[in-house]
Amino acid sequence: MYAKEMVKQSLPLIIFCGLGAIVAGSTLGVMSDLIREIPGLIVIIPAIIAMRGNISTAFGSRLGSAYHLGVIDADNLWNKELMQNIIGSLVLSFLVSIIIGILAYITSLFLRVAPNPIKIILIVLIAGIISGLILTILTIGIVYLAFKRGYDPDNITGPALATFGDIVTMICIFGSAFLVEVMI
Amino acid sequence: MKFSLPLLTLTILIEVFAGQILQGKQESLLLFPMFLISIPVINSVGGNIGSVLGARIASGLHVGYISLNLSDKEIHDNFFISLLIGFITYLILAIVIYFVALLGNLTEDIALIEFIAIFVLTGVLLISTVAIVSVFTAFLSFKKGLDPDDMVAPIVTTFGDIMGILFLFLLFGLFGVGI
Repeated sequence: MYAKEMVKQSLPLIIFCGLGAIVAGSTLGVMSDLIREIPGLIVIIPAIIAMRGNISTAFGSRLGSAYHLGVIDADNLWNKELMQNIIGSLVLSFLVSIIIGILAYITSLFLRVAPNPIKIILIVLIAGIISGLILTILTIGIVYLAFKRGYDPDNITGPALATFGDIVTMICIFGSAFLVEVMI
Repeated sequence: MKFSLPLLTLTILIEVFAGQILQGKQESLLLFPMFLISIPVINSVGGNIGSVLGARIASGLHVGYISLNLSDKEIHDNFFISLLIGFITYLILAIVIYFVALLGNLTEDIALIEFIAIFVLTGVLLISTVAIVSVFTAFLSFKKGLDPDDMVAPIVTTFGDIMGILFLFLLFGLFGVGI
């Protein structure tokens, strides 16, 4: 019986997240011309998505813990604690984006593909920072709504970020690759 | 946030290798955009199921209803339920992707049955691998006195990303599509 319960509880959510991933995948499908024109672009995609997933989920669960510890609540959301978390996650996004760009460039050289290092690093930086900002705002919005309705934010931020995080990040990669390709 | 940088950098390094595999197979992917669409889906579902399994085992170990023993019945049940959930999810999503691609005129020469076979087999292989890694990560971290809740999700999703891409290309080759 407990097997039935496990299937009933997690299957719909996993399918729903999968449908979200199809939207992210379709964005990747639309990018095929850009992938052809910018060597190295496809290399950075899994890394940016993984970075975003790791940093946003950590940010979301920190907000959840802060709530449980009583440090933040619906009336007292914008305080020093939240600011420190926002700045921390944005600084981390900035550093990791640069690391992704450099690693993608160096490993490509070993495989005899020569991407434009400035283009690749710029694409990761713009996509990483903008998706970071959007997801930070989205997370705070979700946590705020959870407070208002009396839900535990820990149960909401994880699945919500898993579904929307990849879509937002993929669209940001598309936008930033397009922008950089047009500008440079 | 100070402590997350080294672990994150290691994760990123592995993901860049996943990206390099994609770059190596770029021509096949661009020829069959349906598989380009599939990659985030395969990896996202694999990561989610692996993380749920890891979280369940972690809770079981903390509370004590799962023992540190590979022949534990609870572990086997969780393993097979994860496979079942994976099978159903990949089957449904394969059909959705095929029709999304059909709408976008991207189906090329692949029949629905062939696409479903490649997608679901990749998924089942991935879930089996990810589930084993998830169980071992939970066991090892628990034994070493680390909280499995902190370890399983990042390890399983990173490892799953690279294995998902490798399995997809393996089945690509077996079915003689692309390359």
